[in-house]
Amino acid sequence: MKGLTHFISGIAVATFFPQAVHMASQEQSFIFCLGGIFGILPDTLDFKFARYFHTSDFEIKPDPDNLDAHQIASIVAQSLEKANASGRSSVQLHTMQLGANLWRSYTLGFDSKTSEVVVDIGPLVDTGQTPFMGTEPKEKASARVKVNCRFFQEFDKKSNIAIMSGPCFEFIRRGEGNVEIVFLPWHRTWSHSATLGILIALVVGVISYFTVPEGLHADMYAIPRWLLYPLIIFFGSLVHIIEDSTGFMGNNLFYPFTADRTKGLGFMSAAEAVPNFFFVWTSIICMLYNLDRFRWAPELTPAGIPNPESFFFWFYALPCAVMLYLFLRGKNQKEARKSVKAEGNESDFDGPTSVEKETDASII
Amino acid sequence: MDILEILMHPQNLDLAYFCLLGVLGSCLISFLPALHIYNVIGIFLLVILKYENAMEAMQLVALSTGMIVGYSILNTVPATYFGPGDESLSYYVLPSAQWVALGRGYESVILTGIGALTGMIVLALCAPIFIWILPGLKTITSPHMFWILGAVIAYMILSEWPKGIAQSKSNWANFFEGWGFLSVGIITFILSSLLGFIVMSKTMVPLGFAFQSITPVFVGLFALPWLITNIINVGIIPPQHEAKSLDLEWEVISKATFGGFLGGFYAAFIPIVTAGIGGLMAGHATAQRDTRVFIMSYGACKTVYYVGSFLLFFIPGLSLTRGGLAWIVTPFVTSLTLKEYAIFVGLMLFSTGVSFLLLTPFTKMCIRLVEIIDYHLLSVIAFFIVVPAVYAYTGGGGLAIMTVATGIGLLPVLFQARRMNLMAVLLFPVTVSMAGYGDTVLRFLGLL
Repeated sequence: MKGLTHFISGIAVATFFPQAVHMASQEQSFIFCLGGIFGILPDTLDFKFARYFHTSDFEIKPDPDNLDAHQIASIVAQSLEKANASGRSSVQLHTMQLGANLWRSYTLGFDSKTSEVVVDIGPLVDTGQTPFMGTEPKEKASARVKVNCRFFQEFDKKSNIAIMSGPCFEFIRRGEGNVEIVFLPWHRTWSHSATLGILIALVVGVISYFTVPEGLHADMYAIPRWLLYPLIIFFGSLVHIIEDSTGFMGNNLFYPFTADRTKGLGFMSAAEAVPNFFFVWTSIICMLYNLDRFRWAPELTPAGIPNPESFFFWFYALPCAVMLYLFLRGKNQKEARKSVKAEGNESDFDGPTSVEKETDASII
Repeated sequence: MDILEILMHPQNLDLAYFCLLGVLGSCLISFLPALHIYNVIGIFLLVILKYENAMEAMQLVALSTGMIVGYSILNTVPATYFGPGDESLSYYVLPSAQWVALGRGYESVILTGIGALTGMIVLALCAPIFIWILPGLKTITSPHMFWILGAVIAYMILSEWPKGIAQSKSNWANFFEGWGFLSVGIITFILSSLLGFIVMSKTMVPLGFAFQSITPVFVGLFALPWLITNIINVGIIPPQHEAKSLDLEWEVISKATFGGFLGGFYAAFIPIVTAGIGGLMAGHATAQRDTRVFIMSYGACKTVYYVGSFLLFFIPGLSLTRGGLAWIVTPFVTSLTLKEYAIFVGLMLFSTGVSFLLLTPFTKMCIRLVEIIDYHLLSVIAFFIVVPAVYAYTGGGGLAIMTVATGIGLLPVLFQARRMNLMAVLLFPVTVSMAGYGDTVLRFLGLL
């Protein structure tokens, strides 16, 4: 999901605590921001830290002056075969920067039907990924290299490697002669685990227990004030993991007790518009409802939502029905496109989940 | 029918005249290089208000409506070819510059115009709904505005991802490369915040022009860095293709309008948040990917932001003043009823139609200008108009602030960080003040 989706969901979770709402409106506390910050934290940890400390067995740095698609495909195939032999292997693909605003693009695909690694060298692009037409290389621009094992992956999509840093793949042997392709192996592992959430909440809980005094009207609340901080942090990060689990990539929920990422539920793709907006809208509705029902001195201040039933009908049920319609329509259209490709016995390189293979970190 | 009666009443036709005058005036204002809209309108109204006795309140509103609508639609043109004047524009200019580089600047401007048109239609359709929902929304959010702004700041900082190619053998070298870009963003944010605190606590411009005190800051942060970049840029603007028609699916139009409206309304409703920030957040919320959708949604976002914040002022019983223009007309408009609101919406649609019709000739004229005169030279001319103008209105103090702001404004341009961080100049001090910690911070900084 998009960073904003996680961020706003974290805030929405925090508004379920009446004491937090009172702290914000009466004591000018920024406690809700804590929910947002820890809501986006798992991705922050991955894309700002973890990615830099992952090392791969193979690195591919294509030479822009001597472009050779076969060479690239061969190294990827080598890594796949090493995984088949030894259990695991990984490969890091690098981009080709030719100038401050000029890059050479190429794509990498895995054709599971023919057990081939497919590489196509594309046109020059600028940093906005706008291609310069007619700049595709004339020779050695495409290659297919066969590997001696079968492989499978959650997504059937060509990775476009163009700007900034390139993607990384891990290959893991699953049974005899069968290799799983894992996209961005450093992503959604320890950072996206309930274990980390619990650990951070424990540390914060200990600190807040000794430093946060009980506020005014403590008898009004079921939860002591010091406990609010770890709970908001924990639920903020947990809602991130739950949202990510609805996609395809999944999480490593109980790291280090579990070794690998588990598959997601596959309901939707992380970068699709409707699911992202659904979570954002749900969060906004929850926030508004909670801020209103937990307002300070409700007997003295008028309600912003005088009729909750009508509020939920007009502003939640109705938009959700529209979103469901759009989501199902989009899904059906993609399925139709997929079946046309299947009839033509083509590899589905543009499957519905393809967007998760972006090399641009901000969209994952 | 009542609304139609009001709109078609001969007594109200003078409003159409003033509205048209406003749109035509906005054509000129749009061309003034690299200045923020409210500063320009502020100065313009200073001149106009000499005729205050001859103008009724609603005539002034009509003139302002024409100006704000015209400006918000037409300023895309010079921003695309000569550089943006504020943060809301700079958000759009980066992708549009790519289209200009491909000779598709005209198409980009027209797409933005279509976005603005659809955005304004949706705004007009929502106008009756606003009367129903906005009082409740205001009641709920008013006590929480400071942390909403705090959340915007947190998201702005956290959502900037590292850049860099990460091809070194050393993991740490890759880490520092990526964080180098992030650090520039964070440093820009901190320096802009400090500048904001200084400007808000110590008035360095002549008292007579206190309403323009933020002008040198905005010129320095947004306008001059862009002009300087234009001047030192070795590239040339390629011949521009004037497309005869546009290939647009309804899906693209609806996606762009929806995202743009969402961002624009958010920016209009939340104080200090600009169209750039609103557009970024709405773009993430609706997971925009298509460049056409982005450019169109920007058109909707920017127009809904500028005009929407003015519209909020007219909603009867809401008492919500957002945006510079609403503050400017506040002393002149004493009563706000459904009639004034309906008239405003009508004027808004009228100005939108006129501005959209003017967009094509205006863009073609701009293209001719770029073809005839080298844009480096245009940027130099703009530079030598802006700097003396700032000096004339804000004196040596203003010039000093502008120079410091230019230094900060150059940071993201030179090191490829988000220019949005520059908005910390208003966002951070206002958030801190709204939360009640303003004096504490000012004392800590030795400014109080």
